[in-house]
Amino acid sequence: MVPASQEGEANTSLVHARDNHLLSKQWGHRDNQAMTLPTDVSAAPMLRLDQLSRRRAGRPAVQDLSLLLQHGQVLGLLGVNGAGKSTTLSMIAGALRPDSGSIQLNGADFLEQPELARQLIGWLPERAPLWPELTVSEHLDAHGHLRGLHGAALKQARTAIIDRLELQPLARRLAGVLSQGQRQRLGLACALLHKPALLVLDEPANALDPVQVAALRTLIREQAAAGTAVILSTHLLTEVTAVCDRVAILHEGTLRHDGAVHSDDHAALERTFFEIAMSGNNQPARAA
Amino acid sequence: MSPAFVSPFAVTRLEWRRLLVRPLAWVLAALTLAWLAWNFTLLLGNFLAGQIQRAAQPDGPGFVDLVAVPLLAQLAQLAFMVVPLITMSVLAGERRSGTLPLLFAAGVPASRIVLGKYLAILGWLLLWLALTLAMPLALMHATHFDWGKLAAATLGLMLMLAALGALGVACSAFASHPAIAAAAALVIALALWGVNLGAQMAGMNDGAINWLAMSTHLQSLLRGLVSTTDIVWFVLLTVLALALATRRLVADKERG
Repeated sequence: MVPASQEGEANTSLVHARDNHLLSKQWGHRDNQAMTLPTDVSAAPMLRLDQLSRRRAGRPAVQDLSLLLQHGQVLGLLGVNGAGKSTTLSMIAGALRPDSGSIQLNGADFLEQPELARQLIGWLPERAPLWPELTVSEHLDAHGHLRGLHGAALKQARTAIIDRLELQPLARRLAGVLSQGQRQRLGLACALLHKPALLVLDEPANALDPVQVAALRTLIREQAAAGTAVILSTHLLTEVTAVCDRVAILHEGTLRHDGAVHSDDHAALERTFFEIAMSGNNQPARAA
Repeated sequence: MSPAFVSPFAVTRLEWRRLLVRPLAWVLAALTLAWLAWNFTLLLGNFLAGQIQRAAQPDGPGFVDLVAVPLLAQLAQLAFMVVPLITMSVLAGERRSGTLPLLFAAGVPASRIVLGKYLAILGWLLLWLALTLAMPLALMHATHFDWGKLAAATLGLMLMLAALGALGVACSAFASHPAIAAAAALVIALALWGVNLGAQMAGMNDGAINWLAMSTHLQSLLRGLVSTTDIVWFVLLTVLALALATRRLVADKERG
């Protein structure tokens, strides 16, 4: 008789093995070809949010949010629609300025040095916005140029990410004619092109089929194993238990829960999530 | 940690690429150049027909006065329609498709986004001007050219296109929809052109109202008169429009 916890671990291993197999079929993954660590892993946390606040459309979208994310950690940002997940990720990615609070990347003040985003952050916004008149290959080139990649380095990075996400058949196709799932993959490729130290993914599993979702999960774990910190927003609990080390639950713009995730405590996470989602405002954050 | 170096022309290159693959730029270029070529043949025909009469006037108007400058004046008229159409989606389109935050997230400052896009537009407009100029220049060995007058008129057109381009970029930065940007750019450009019409009808040919009008400054350049005041007027309008566009983009990032 296998104890429940061991059974859970065995199941998780099976899931990982299955995902790896699917990935190797779907997105050209080969073992021992994980991307290299993009930056020096220092003692400072990869990301530190301190009392971050932001109002949108006249109401507080995010209030006094404080979070810490270490190198190689995968944090799931969970919350119902309108909880403030996308606003938080936009601020972390540098696309939106917070009203107050601070963001530190690798110990450096991000708000003082927004150009840090260029090298350190890869961002996949919700619905992967693209330039419809450019081809997949041109998109990668444009993102490379904007991130400071040129010449041989850009060519090498583009080839690597096209191979990694199996975008070769789409390379010359216009972004405007891609399916939503293909757009999402291209958005992911653009986010990963410059090997960022922090990967910010806003609802990355949107529009992906189950096989692609499995491949995405493996990719995220692979990035984390290479030292990349990953923060992803979702409203799917399964997404969190499948790939995240930690979960932060946002509700009405405030952090309500921040704790570790175990793949076998889906029911407990679900209970916590629904308790928070059904509760009113002004509840303090709690650690698991 | 020093961030990776990004070429100042990264945004220009992106915008230029987008401009070249969109049919709008090609269609506009083809239609306007065909129209200008037709008018060039008409102007040339009139010039050749009146050549015998003009032979009796040694200081009479030449090829540049009768063909090249009128052709450039027609280009100026077309620019009021073409420039708003070319510039309408540079920023309003990015905002609508949600790609503007991608540029912010790449750490590109608002000023560089505006300048990069403006340079791409300016490149297209100068190419358009060069192709138009190629028509009279093709006959430079066959007739006498007043190079000074042609250079002044070309400078006037370059300044006008630069100012209209900046105005279009600014309208695109403020508008939520490309069509609104195009309409706003057209109306503002026409207002700037004819702001002194009332004053001129009342017999006022001087004063601040005439200084404000674009027509005053372009017409003197088309006549071959280059003055610092005219150049400064166009440069001021260009800088002001680009500064407003930059401010709007900064506010976009602040407001979200």
